[in-house]
Amino acid sequence: MTGVLAGRIARRVFAVPEEPGVREAVAQFAARDATHDTVRRIAESPSGFDRDSWQALAGELGAAGIGVPEECGGVGMGFAELAVVMEELGSTLLPSPLLASRVLAVEMLSRCAVPEVRPTLRALVAGDLIGTVAFGTSGRRWRPEDVGVSVRPAERAVVGVEPMGCLLDGEASYVLDGAIADVLVVVGVDGGSLTLCLVVGTEPGLSVRPMETIDLTRRQAKVRFERCRARMIARGASAVEIVGQVLDRAAIALAAEQVGGAQRCLDMAVAYAKQRVQFGRPIGTFQAVKHACADVLLELDAARWTVRAAARAVDHLPQEVPVLAPLVKAHCSQMYESAARACVQIHGGIGFTWEFSAQLYLKRALSSKALFGTPREHREALLNRLGLDSTQRGER
Amino acid sequence: MSEGTLAAPTAVDEHTISLTEFLNEARAWLEANCQPHTEDTSDDIDVQVFRNLSHEREEALIRAEAQWQQAKLAAGYVALDWAVEDGGRGLAAPYTSAFDRLEAEFGAQLSHELVLVTVKLIAPTLRRFARPEQRQVHMRDFLSATQLCCQLFSEPGAGSDLAALATRARRDGDGWVVTGQKVWSSGAQFADWGLLLARTAPEQPKHAGITAFLVPMDAPGVRVRPLRQLSGGSSFCEVFLDDVLLTDELRVGEPGQGWAVAMTTLGFERESSDGSAGIGGSWELVRELALRDGHGGDAVIRQGLAQVYTRTVMNSITAAADAVRRAEGEDLGATGSLRKLQWVRLLAEISDLVAEMLGAELTADSGRRATFAWRDHVLGAVGYSIAGGTDEVQRSIIAERLLGLPAERREDKSIPWNEVPR
Repeated sequence: MTGVLAGRIARRVFAVPEEPGVREAVAQFAARDATHDTVRRIAESPSGFDRDSWQALAGELGAAGIGVPEECGGVGMGFAELAVVMEELGSTLLPSPLLASRVLAVEMLSRCAVPEVRPTLRALVAGDLIGTVAFGTSGRRWRPEDVGVSVRPAERAVVGVEPMGCLLDGEASYVLDGAIADVLVVVGVDGGSLTLCLVVGTEPGLSVRPMETIDLTRRQAKVRFERCRARMIARGASAVEIVGQVLDRAAIALAAEQVGGAQRCLDMAVAYAKQRVQFGRPIGTFQAVKHACADVLLELDAARWTVRAAARAVDHLPQEVPVLAPLVKAHCSQMYESAARACVQIHGGIGFTWEFSAQLYLKRALSSKALFGTPREHREALLNRLGLDSTQRGER
Repeated sequence: MSEGTLAAPTAVDEHTISLTEFLNEARAWLEANCQPHTEDTSDDIDVQVFRNLSHEREEALIRAEAQWQQAKLAAGYVALDWAVEDGGRGLAAPYTSAFDRLEAEFGAQLSHELVLVTVKLIAPTLRRFARPEQRQVHMRDFLSATQLCCQLFSEPGAGSDLAALATRARRDGDGWVVTGQKVWSSGAQFADWGLLLARTAPEQPKHAGITAFLVPMDAPGVRVRPLRQLSGGSSFCEVFLDDVLLTDELRVGEPGQGWAVAMTTLGFERESSDGSAGIGGSWELVRELALRDGHGGDAVIRQGLAQVYTRTVMNSITAAADAVRRAEGEDLGATGSLRKLQWVRLLAEISDLVAEMLGAELTADSGRRATFAWRDHVLGAVGYSIAGGTDEVQRSIIAERLLGLPAERREDKSIPWNEVPR
């Protein structure tokens, strides 16, 4: 997909209008329930989680059901609308397990053909349960070699383990919201086969240790499995495909969140530049400040439309997702970091304080840049998916 | 509905062709009639940003494009959204963008800057400001590219600060006498006419004392001198005007309305469908180079390749989004400044990557195909950070008009032009 083709695809997806009302509904929710004070309070609490806040987001607003068909307990609409939610919440930094639970766990489970997971899936969609996914050990862009959990199908003789039951051993790191998750989807290896298993958070064989993070608004944990009971829900080629699809969609959702955060950073910087007076005039009259803001908008505006096209491609042109996902994740990660740095810089000394909010955005930017893989890793993946793998040799 | 309201010229009646039918007909016509011109007989790649043709070859190219424009006009594929009485077809905006895309598919879109300026910038400007006689003659001539018109805007002393222009038009009986110097006029050496901005009221503040005129380029006192640019070619000219006599019939718009004429022309430049297509190198050529020369395994080159691809895709997506928004009636304001910078960034990223891949083969001709030819891109790209509004000016426009940051204090905006230090 190159220039002309990208334009043609974009026109097709942009011909589908955004579902009205989603953006306003989330903005209204945010104005009430995701104020700066609320965000600070939750972020600086020991667990980084507020159940009332989650109840308002998932229960009342129905955020965990967006893009899930009504017959599965969701509120309908599509991934494009989920991306809008991620974008609007991203501008607030509201700590919530939405990424882990809706974008990761729900997407994983909805692709598993096992009927037993339906009740769990419905509970996740309703926000009654919180889910997450344990991918691997390195936190780098995921590859099968990254998996640190081995899976043994349980013998029928083991008491209390149902058919398709298994036992897990090993560990996973960088598990989003691992400490508050009610259920975990675990990526493991059974002999040579990639395997997906569902684990209940209260299992005795599971221990969770929170990892200290620079971003207090998104918690991560190390999870250890010792003969931990689990239910196998996918295996082999279908497991590989599911993990790939979910990570691509997660990349796009996260990119949408980054657009929202960057927009807030730019808004803050511009507002400050208009009002802060030094040398007898607003600092926004100085070209260096002006141009720094323009540079942020340049990359942000391109990001915004590309993420919208990518999110709509998930719903309407899924064959383009494997290329668009790494493309937007790499670009938006760098774009968000630049916007957050510019926000700190334009605020001068205040920007460097703990009290001022710019630091929260910078930390979310740095953290989300690394999440699911760095820009460099995503660009590598992009080229591979374009058929340019690194073993290319020329005529020379 | 108030009495006396004229029906809008572009009103759609029940006989309007559907978009699908229109596209089918247009495609069939293009298939039967289009002969994409190949300017270059060499078998090397063409990644020129600015042309570097001999005078004869360039003249032949212009003639071919003008003939193509006339063929399209006769078949009804020009100025689709103009009223029928102006030479158009009264169709809505989506038809125009659809035809432009179709034409691009066939590689048949206009590419020479003089023809583009004449057809896409000056003809619609005249439609806005010209008197009936000027519309009947000049506007139609320019729309059909039967006559070609260059812009006589910038001056050595008025580039970024165009409104400071000093070329003087003095009243002379019923007409005017013009003296001054213009620069950066694309294709002036081939133009029949020039759209001139001249100062008619030096005692007014700079924006208020400008008037627009049409100047016959063969009038006594008009002297054209091509400028050679660092990329080798001569796309632009200096134009000297020494006591050039103009009748008042050649005035475009009212005296003092020249700035509005200028802004309208520049506005059409911003709106015109991606004129940057086909200029300089492309993702496809960059990829080919990487594969041919075995750079596909180098980690640093791979990052650069991914970046060029990303930028290409993003530019295409934003152009498509803009077209949809425009068609829905949204005013995009200074969004064109963002898009120009995006494009300049792509040119620069391609330059950097290609330089890394080619090394000294970029700067000294080894004779190998698709190596030294890339210098046309690298050298030409330098010009577009400046032409069409410098990067610095674009950033200030973005900051002030899109972000609302306060304008800098400008000393010269409201005092008489003739009191401003120069």
